[in-house]
Amino acid sequence: MNFLKPVNAIKQTGILRINQSMKQQAFQTKSISESIVAFSQFARSHGFNVGIQETQEGLCCAKEGLLTNRESFKYSLKAIFCKSPEERLVFEKLFLLFWDTNPADLKETKSKISVQGTLNKRKVASLVMLGRGKTEITKEEGKNVSGANETERLKRTDFSKLSQMDTELLEEIAQKMFKQLALRLNRRMKECRRKGQISLRRTIRRSIGYGGEPIDLFRRSQKPKKQRLVVLLDVSGSMDKYSYFLLRFICALRENFRQLEAFVFSTSLIRISKTIRKSRLDYVLNIISEQADNWSSGTRIGECIHEFNEKYGKLLLNGSPIVLVLSDGLDTGDPALLGKEMIKLQRRARKIIWLNPLKGMKGYTPTAGGMKAALPSVDSFHNAHNLESLLELENILADA
Amino acid sequence: MEVKKRNPVQKINSTTQIIEALEKYHYVADEEFATTLFLLLKLQKPLLLEGPPGVGKTEIALVLSQLLNTKLIRLQCYEGLDINSAVYEWNYQKQLLGIKLQEDTNLSVEEKEHHIFSNEYLLRRPLLQSIMEEEKAPVLLIDELDRSDEEFEAFLLELLSVFQISIPELGTIRAKYKPYVILTSNRTRELSDALKRRCLYHWIGYPSLEKEMLIVKKRVPGIEQHLLQQVVAHVQAFRQQKLAKTPGVSETIDWAESLIALGHREVNAKSFEQTLGSVLKSIEDINQAKVEFFETG
Repeated sequence: MNFLKPVNAIKQTGILRINQSMKQQAFQTKSISESIVAFSQFARSHGFNVGIQETQEGLCCAKEGLLTNRESFKYSLKAIFCKSPEERLVFEKLFLLFWDTNPADLKETKSKISVQGTLNKRKVASLVMLGRGKTEITKEEGKNVSGANETERLKRTDFSKLSQMDTELLEEIAQKMFKQLALRLNRRMKECRRKGQISLRRTIRRSIGYGGEPIDLFRRSQKPKKQRLVVLLDVSGSMDKYSYFLLRFICALRENFRQLEAFVFSTSLIRISKTIRKSRLDYVLNIISEQADNWSSGTRIGECIHEFNEKYGKLLLNGSPIVLVLSDGLDTGDPALLGKEMIKLQRRARKIIWLNPLKGMKGYTPTAGGMKAALPSVDSFHNAHNLESLLELENILADA
Repeated sequence: MEVKKRNPVQKINSTTQIIEALEKYHYVADEEFATTLFLLLKLQKPLLLEGPPGVGKTEIALVLSQLLNTKLIRLQCYEGLDINSAVYEWNYQKQLLGIKLQEDTNLSVEEKEHHIFSNEYLLRRPLLQSIMEEEKAPVLLIDELDRSDEEFEAFLLELLSVFQISIPELGTIRAKYKPYVILTSNRTRELSDALKRRCLYHWIGYPSLEKEMLIVKKRVPGIEQHLLQQVVAHVQAFRQQKLAKTPGVSETIDWAESLIALGHREVNAKSFEQTLGSVLKSIEDINQAKVEFFETG
């Protein structure tokens, strides 16, 4: 009963004031059940998803006799509180911190208790990237200009040549268009109801009324398979002007492909699948820029794809998803490596689609070292320099 | 709760008892895992097991069912798994026949309908089976849940909290004995938080050298110490390398078994080449392993 010591210690030292804040620790509580409740609050304040039910179950464990041994008590709380391998690591530290903190040590450092790896509140990141530096100035003016011609013009304008004012406007248009795109893709998948197997269940049920003759046939179409999509977005310096719209584009795709995995890369690879599930784009950008210390720097595509294959390939390339690469192919790394990794990737993907903003330029040929090396393993190669070309993707994806 | 208390569990009162009992069925579990299993039995909460392939996630369900002397009901998940193959379906052929047979009787339409939608015509799929068990609580294994669709996960959520299933034509069926549920996942996708919250969680990783030797010894009782040491050491080294498919414990056992079956008493150049296919499952891996084996001798 090692961990009960702090409780005794507190009585001896005469510190009886109990702090009701969330950061209460074992030595501040009076009974073991109070300690367990306090511990679950402690865990919650460190980002664990621990509710009343979990607390109750923790108390149940104590009742079942798991309390008599420190280790089994820890293990059982671990099984109840943790929901992922990462949380299991953090839990160990939390457990120690909560049950083993000696009040004597705490006097000076009371305010500094923090555990590595917990979910701290997001800092407000400064965003000076994605080509959208100062946005306030022309907001009003931008709204005055609109109309069909304007929309058409903007749809064809290269992202990199947009003026500040146009960016705002195009964002609005893009949002609308992307929403439609998601909707249309959905609808297209739902069609062809007429085909498919006969649904015996409904047919038989109806046939009873006709004395057992199956007059009305009900059919059951194959449930459209939801495609899995893996997106790799280049956020290096050369892509700066495009990344913002492309990221927004990825967010739009997310609504349609429920199993969407997204990554950004420049010199290293970062998984953003979880982050883009949040609904507000500016919030998403904040988080991503915070995670990425290498926005708008050089590109090592080959190494990043290698990292993807190594780290996530086994997990995410199951069941051959479509892989979408958004990059200009300007690689500072070794083109041979890129070529090799692309072949590996292609072997496990259903289809590799490469969208290159530079392809929209007149007279562009994929001669850049990286692009040239990657091209043999790319199934379809398209441009992505303006809104119209992004919307094109609808057709490509619908066919796949 | 109307669900009755389950008997065999009463015999198990501590985690050490679980470790001992599991050992009888050749399953090596550490204190932490045993505690989790103990909670599964006591709190009647589903257990979510995650970890790489081949470390005994599925095996524990089998062993647990033997230990509790109860039935194991298994549902293998896959993309596109639907209610018809997971919960229940009507036996349509039989129903059609039933309707034909009733043609000349004077039964009303309602009576006829009632007849062909009775228990007799119901095909029970694993989930329904698991809550219709009459004798004692079964072990329900829902394998590789990460492969199923999110819709199915949502359905499961409902089942795991109330343990009842509604069939429109028959009514609601409640579990007489709440099954012990074990869910496994390889983490190919993140499961929903809601589902995770309803489960206990445990991560099974690759075992340490000592533990793996213990496991292989349990599963392949005839193995000699020297061979055992070599096999496990090799597999542990494989796991440190970058391979297309990292071998799990089940591959170690396969390898040990195939070496013994071929009459080898040690891992040498010949036996290594002959049997490598039972532990490494890709040609690149095999070539890489061979090169390294001959380089290091």
